[in-house]
Amino acid sequence: MRSRITRRVRIKTPDLNLVDRVKGHIDAIVTAAFQAIFPDRITIQYPRERRDVPDNFRGMIQFDINKCISCFQCSFVCPANAIMMRGAPDGRYYPCIDYTRCIFCHFCVDTCPRGALLRTKIHDVAFSSMEEMFATTEELIEPPEMLREDDTVIRYRIENGDLVLEKIEEIAELSTRPEIQVSPAKLSACAHPENCIACTLCYLTCPSNAISVKVVEGKRTFEIDPKLCTGCGLCVKECPTCTLTLIER
Amino acid sequence: MAVSGTSRQKQTDEVMELTLVNTVFQIFSSNMMDIPVIKPLVDVLMTVPIVKYLVALILWKPFFAVILVPGLTGLMLSLLFIIWFERKLTARIQWRMGPLEISRSIGGILQPLADGMRYFFQEIIIHKEAHRPYFVQFPILAFIPVLLPVLFIPAGTVYAIRTPYALPVIVSLISMIPVVIMAIGWASNSRLAFIGTVREAFMYFGYEIPFIIAVLAMAVLYGTSDLYLIVEKQRVWGIALNPISALVFLITMAMATSRLPFEIAEADQEIAFGPFVEYSGILFGLTMTLAYEKMYILGLLFSVLFLGGGSGPPLPFLGDLTPVIWLYIKAVIIMCIMAFLRAVYPRYRIDQALRLGWTYLAGLAVVSVVIAGLISAGGLLP
Repeated sequence: MRSRITRRVRIKTPDLNLVDRVKGHIDAIVTAAFQAIFPDRITIQYPRERRDVPDNFRGMIQFDINKCISCFQCSFVCPANAIMMRGAPDGRYYPCIDYTRCIFCHFCVDTCPRGALLRTKIHDVAFSSMEEMFATTEELIEPPEMLREDDTVIRYRIENGDLVLEKIEEIAELSTRPEIQVSPAKLSACAHPENCIACTLCYLTCPSNAISVKVVEGKRTFEIDPKLCTGCGLCVKECPTCTLTLIER
Repeated sequence: MAVSGTSRQKQTDEVMELTLVNTVFQIFSSNMMDIPVIKPLVDVLMTVPIVKYLVALILWKPFFAVILVPGLTGLMLSLLFIIWFERKLTARIQWRMGPLEISRSIGGILQPLADGMRYFFQEIIIHKEAHRPYFVQFPILAFIPVLLPVLFIPAGTVYAIRTPYALPVIVSLISMIPVVIMAIGWASNSRLAFIGTVREAFMYFGYEIPFIIAVLAMAVLYGTSDLYLIVEKQRVWGIALNPISALVFLITMAMATSRLPFEIAEADQEIAFGPFVEYSGILFGLTMTLAYEKMYILGLLFSVLFLGGGSGPPLPFLGDLTPVIWLYIKAVIIMCIMAFLRAVYPRYRIDQALRLGWTYLAGLAVVSVVIAGLISAGGLLP
């Protein structure tokens, strides 16, 4: 193996006779002439044409407020600290995204237990100021505002090992359907019941009312309804004595 | 008496002026373009007092040949077309779009016009080391050897000067263009311009000799240097009689106009347009189009020598305009072939190009002279 690497390779100028040379010239001219008549253009005329991107394209993020359970997972997972949870008049907290920080990793979308954050294929939005790049919850509900000039979609397909460019006259759909949750479903469970100090914080924080309190013989006991629990982990976070944990369903 | 003397003098002056004008008008109107399509219009205009002089001037054959087609106007139109065509063709072959944004609906053909207008309004920078007077005037002086050959190129009966020395005059005028380019490079007084100038000088000697011999071969073949007679003698096109001469002419034409296999003097990737590196604004526009103008003149010469000049199927209702149109179309096709080369070939090194010029092309040119001599001596020319 070593000898193969160190072996000296000498490159010689190809020894072509006149026939080969003339053939080469003719070949080049014919190829060029063919391309001049039927060009295999690869240019995408961007504002007028738009390249088709897959559904899991990491573009700007859209937010569905009806699905959100205010679990804060998106804001915890964000590696760039771009998501801020802001209090709403209904007493719950909803995410705002600071696009000056966002690195479009879509960890928030992947981590959302209810699929409230949606991917879009929009990546070409212009902002006129830094302040405008802070998208509040209200702005996240609507897809970002942008100027569309495209009427053609560019798709690539592989044909006999060649990449073939296809132009389809249609207006590209840029929003995506919320995908089915692929991360393992979680469930809140009491891992260490002996730690519980019966502070009811878990009961108070649970957004889906899966935790119920019963007073039996002067003592509070808690019960988690697995049907209602979404595995959002809010109770686990709030528990001061690390009684609760998330287990896989 | 004095008064009447002055008035008589005045009268004589008026009569003389009138005779002079009439003589000039006679000269113009005796040699006018005969175009059946616009003949009714011309007849009407020729009855209008002042306008008739103008119409007679425009339709005077020498004026038409030099200022309109195949002269200045034809040159400008072909320039606008060929620059667009070259960019577009190269773009197609290289899988790009080419100029498109300006006048999108007609494929961006107005782009060269827009570029030209931009050149007009751009600042002309003359750097400190340049030889200022020469630097400014050489691009303009370069037009003299470029435009003068048009005087001698006949399109049918439309020509400015007919002389038995037309071919030598044209060749010598064309040979003057590289001298001007070298002068431009010298006046620019910068490193890249110097390198480009030296390359241009090397190339000049490399292609000029085979070129002149190839043209000489055609003069030997037809037995005359009068281009009008050469066109008349071509029952069979010259390219069929002496294809080797045509090949040498085409290759040396690509060298002379620095088309891509031989784009050594300009070489924009390494020495950034060589002799023209210091120019900006309209002066750059003038120098950049120099090669294309030379290409147009050489295309006209090629059409006259090898493609039967203005001969072609008669076009109805165009009269004297027919040979003009045929000659123009042939010249533009030759220019298109030259533009096509750019998309196919990479650039030669200067030593490769010089070897080609001094050995193969010179040899082929001599062979073409021998062929021409044989055809001429054997009386094979019909």
